[in-house]
Amino acid sequence: MDEKGDGHLAALREMRSRAVLGGGQKRIEQQHARGKLTARERLALLLDDGSFQEFGTLATHQFSEFGLDKQRYPGDGIVTGFGKINGRRVAVFAQDFTVLGGSFSEVQSQKICRIQDLALESGIPLIGLNDSGGARIQEGVRSLAAYGEVFVRNVMASGVIPQISLIMGPCAGGAVYSPALTDFVVMAGDSYMFLTGPDVIKAVTGEQVTALTLGGADVHMGRSGVAHLAADSEIEGIGIVKRLLAYLPQNNNEDPPQVTPYDPPTRMDEALNALIPQDENRPYDMRDAIAMIFDRDSFLEVQPAFAANAVVGFARLDGYSIGVVANQPAYMSGALNIDASDKIARFIRICDAFNIPIVTFIDCPGFLPGTDQEYGGVIRHGAKIIYAYCEATVPKISLVTRKAMGGAYVAMSSKQMRTDLAFAWPTGQIAVMGAEPAVRVLYRDDVQSAADPAAKERELIAYYRERFFNPYRAADVGQIDEVIEPRETRPRLVRALEVLRTKVQQNPPKKHGLVPL
Amino acid sequence: MSELQWGLTMTAAGMGLVFGLLALLWGLLTLVLRFDREPPEAPPAEAATAPAADAAAPAPTEGIAPELVAAITVATLAHVAAGRRVAAPLMRSYWPGSQLFASRWVAIGRGRQNTTWRGGDR
Repeated sequence: MDEKGDGHLAALREMRSRAVLGGGQKRIEQQHARGKLTARERLALLLDDGSFQEFGTLATHQFSEFGLDKQRYPGDGIVTGFGKINGRRVAVFAQDFTVLGGSFSEVQSQKICRIQDLALESGIPLIGLNDSGGARIQEGVRSLAAYGEVFVRNVMASGVIPQISLIMGPCAGGAVYSPALTDFVVMAGDSYMFLTGPDVIKAVTGEQVTALTLGGADVHMGRSGVAHLAADSEIEGIGIVKRLLAYLPQNNNEDPPQVTPYDPPTRMDEALNALIPQDENRPYDMRDAIAMIFDRDSFLEVQPAFAANAVVGFARLDGYSIGVVANQPAYMSGALNIDASDKIARFIRICDAFNIPIVTFIDCPGFLPGTDQEYGGVIRHGAKIIYAYCEATVPKISLVTRKAMGGAYVAMSSKQMRTDLAFAWPTGQIAVMGAEPAVRVLYRDDVQSAADPAAKERELIAYYRERFFNPYRAADVGQIDEVIEPRETRPRLVRALEVLRTKVQQNPPKKHGLVPL
Repeated sequence: MSELQWGLTMTAAGMGLVFGLLALLWGLLTLVLRFDREPPEAPPAEAATAPAADAAAPAPTEGIAPELVAAITVATLAHVAAGRRVAAPLMRSYWPGSQLFASRWVAIGRGRQNTTWRGGDR
């Protein structure tokens, strides 16, 4: 065409060159000066070399109010397309902060929706890189309506394809709900998320906060639980997304990739036999047990700082992806509370949606008592765990390592809640409640009428412990399938999951269940 | 006749190139496997006391500085570990999206599990 002198190719190439520059060289340099990468640089790091195919490269808005007619950039502040991560097909979008601050526009929405539709129809994961100052004010209500289009597709894709959001800059106002509707939120660098910014908060309530203290990674990882993983830098954040994706399947009909086994399935770590302290009130770190049982260095903890009394994450067993749920005796004695309930329940549902077997480690003295918890609705939140376990159809194995008391024992994948196999270590203590309160309820009159009440109480506590503080009574009635040596755990889990890999279980047809939200 | 000769030459060159590349790939894989191997178990007592002359062939690292060998080994192991963490293609037992691993039992069962979900119009 160019040989004829019509210039079509030259025009296309010029427009493409402009699109690659986003908001222009000056804006790119400003972005770099802030220590941040551009949308295309981020995608280049995320995707395999040469695998990216872009769509909507030249799309621009058609607005002219507020000077927008002079600010038309090919792509309109977002890069969308398909690519591959370690050979796996994925759909991606990346907001470009160099174009009008990455503001969310009608065209952005159309491009994201298109890639969401294609990802859902193709059954491939969707990864969004968010870096936007919020809705494009100049476009008025249209940019707000555009959010709704994205949200509905987030929800339709939920539980069908993995959706991962990587927050790499500002994410404010209505924009926060799209990441919040996805399966995982990863926050990188000095990114932040909030509904109302520091200025509005100051005007309304008088509180003075900065963007980072209001919605930085520390806040959402440690307090709110909005974020699931965090990274100090953008490059590290991209690495985390790649690692997270390795544990997830392409869609809800497939299995996650299995890594060629590299850790002997019959490996037995003798240190496990000495992990539980002699003193039952002394803590130990459940992550040590997880590290010794699962494949070497395979554990990826999700939400490590939020509700640290519970541990959830992905690990590998003989190369297969496994969802790990555990109480953490090293923090609040592993007692369940509102936040831990939410954390566990959500993780179980993610594993169930994506065909990832769940292994539960139980060392829980019960639900945390207190008015804060009761007023906050710990009953409703705790019910979420029960709902999630009962609803899940993936292989489920539980292991009582030490305390399994009362309602918390029932909630944490007890045998009757469709758990496939229930193991216990000899240190297991499965009882309705602790020895002291149990004796006070059962033997109040005996203790009060005794010549030496304190001695009598000690005697009865010792009797109660001997009777109930072991796993054998539970094994007698079938609540525990097998009491095993701690060091045997790995080979036992490998063998059990080998059998359960083809487990199929179906729930009654329904529109949807009513999770106690 | 010249065309036949040209054809034979091209066939020989093409096959030579293919087999050459295969040999190169084989050598590369052998090298990777060598670094990726589990550490060998301690030799039995009698083997340990065998005369030095009966020992295996010279180590392949002969002539290379021990520091360099150590650095290459560490780099290779780190590369393998990084690959495992992200389930890189070389570290996988099967390709994502492949249904080869799934039994008909599982495939049909999953289809039935998802009957409450309906695609199409929103």
